[in-house]
Amino acid sequence: MSMTLAAAGTAVPAARERHPEVFAAAARRKRRFQIALLVLAAYLAWSCWLFEITPARVFGGLDKMAVVLRQMLVWKDMASWDYAGIFEGLAQTLAMAFLGTLVAALVAVPLGFLGARNVNGVKLLRWPVRRLFDLLRGIDTLVWALVFVRAVGLGPLAGVLAIMTSDTGTLGKLYAEAVENVDRKPMEGVRATGANAFQELRFGALPQVLPVFLSQALYFFESNTRSATVLGVVGAGGIGLQLSDRIRVQYWDQACFIIVLILLTVAIIDLLSRKIRERFIGAPGT
Amino acid sequence: MLTLDNLTKSFQGVRAVDGVSLSFEPGQMVGVIGASGAGKSTMLRLVNRLSDPTGGRIVCQGLEVSALRGRALMAWRARCAMIFQQFNLVGRLDVLTNVLLGRLNKHGFATSMLGRFSDAERTMALEALDHLGLAQTALQRADTLSGGQQQRVAIAKALLQEPEILLADEPIASLDPRNAQTVMEALRRINREQGITVLCNLHTLDTARAYCDRIVGMRQGRVVFDGPAAALSDRQAREIYGVAFDEAFHEAMTSTSLAPAVERAPALAPAA
Ligand SMILES: Nc1ncnc2c1ncn2[C@@H]1O[C@H](COP(=O)(O)OP(=O)(O)OP(=O)(O)O)[C@@H](O)[C@H]1O
Ligand SMILES: [Mg+2]
Repeated sequence: MSMTLAAAGTAVPAARERHPEVFAAAARRKRRFQIALLVLAAYLAWSCWLFEITPARVFGGLDKMAVVLRQMLVWKDMASWDYAGIFEGLAQTLAMAFLGTLVAALVAVPLGFLGARNVNGVKLLRWPVRRLFDLLRGIDTLVWALVFVRAVGLGPLAGVLAIMTSDTGTLGKLYAEAVENVDRKPMEGVRATGANAFQELRFGALPQVLPVFLSQALYFFESNTRSATVLGVVGAGGIGLQLSDRIRVQYWDQACFIIVLILLTVAIIDLLSRKIRERFIGAPGT
Repeated sequence: MLTLDNLTKSFQGVRAVDGVSLSFEPGQMVGVIGASGAGKSTMLRLVNRLSDPTGGRIVCQGLEVSALRGRALMAWRARCAMIFQQFNLVGRLDVLTNVLLGRLNKHGFATSMLGRFSDAERTMALEALDHLGLAQTALQRADTLSGGQQQRVAIAKALLQEPEILLADEPIASLDPRNAQTVMEALRRINREQGITVLCNLHTLDTARAYCDRIVGMRQGRVVFDGPAAALSDRQAREIYGVAFDEAFHEAMTSTSLAPAVERAPALAPAA
């Protein structure tokens, strides 16, 4: 049955004659691949022309990047840095993220129940709640921040409101889905004792969804610390403002210090939230 | 006295419970038997109004149960406790809290939302658990217990309702024989010692005969037998179960005794 490759080589013409369709298919696949490569190359060339990407600019940019990088790594006059301003900014950003997430998570709990099909059977009441979630989360936090900076002025309040608004939408939607996935049996077990609808949700449903609620809120706090940094750039204050100020005047060493601080903070929050999640999901709650 | 009068429940044309009329004296222990789909669960769920009848009436000491709504309906459910085949505990809550859920009907909005139960209630819960041999598990999460233990927690919860009637929907169908015996004995003790009427759906005839004063046999939604356990003849049992008779009649119908039937199947493939 088996044949060596050398033997197969001599048998090619015979095989081609007997199974032309097999060889034709291979050739077709090869041609299609070549066309795809050509299209890709043409697209890249067109993009370069459109955005005026020239080798000179790319390599010139790389040169400047190298300069920036070197300046980032060499920290000068560290004694004169405004540490108070930097750490205050960091604290502000953390507070912004925390408060915004906390309020969003609290508001999202009742809304999540209202938006869940198995709790709110009235489609006419559920629909506006669901659309509200879509509206709030459909607009990016950054856009909300720009709106709130107009409304309440520059500063962290605009950031808190922005985070709160968009996360109420996202958390509300996630919470509603968690509620829709609860096991019905414990709820029936509670109802059978003569409990009312609120007690049934409180004891039959909430213990099932609470760990999910908590872990999602913690995850959002973590990611909001990052987005709150960006919010600072558009006027919500905090560490983002400190960072953008230093980049504007090309204090690359201080900018690098701030970036390292942000990375550290996010890593610490990540660690803490993982610990808290493990603790709460594993333990009995009431 | 609890009376079902021509009680009917239809699901899109299927009459799951079909004109059932029965009376239960306080303090009786009644076993409801019947093949799968006979309407046993549906009947029990109608009695504590987890499900609404489509016809007929339920009356308890002059109270028209089938017409209750709102608070009065919840108060009725509290008087008429129910335990389930799958226990229906809240797995993430500890055992003690699960038992305390039996008190919810007596609580207002604020105390129940905060989960505040009184020390007197906690003592009551501990006594109920102790009675069922589970006091040492009080602070354990309910989903860490075995099936038999969970069912006894469900019974303790039911006892905290201080019910007049205890409904049990196949309380032992998910348990091994030893746990099943413990649970059935607990139910009978409650019935004897506290005078609580027990209405118990059972899959197997021998369990009903061993523990119940009275047996109600159902078939296709109708009552086809009602009398003391001793009066149930083989012929009548055959009528209740129909073709499923052999399955239900034989002693110790457990999952293990099904095993030979499964093992026989590969014999269809001829050994070449
Ligand atoms: N929610 C429902 N919707 C539609 N049909 C239902 C519903 N609940 C029960 N039925 C039907 O009613 C009939 C009686 O069901 P029921 O669960 O009361 O039987 P059972 O005697 O408890 O059976 P088993 O021993 O299998 O638990 C069955 O034909 C079932 O399909
Ligand atoms: Mg059933």
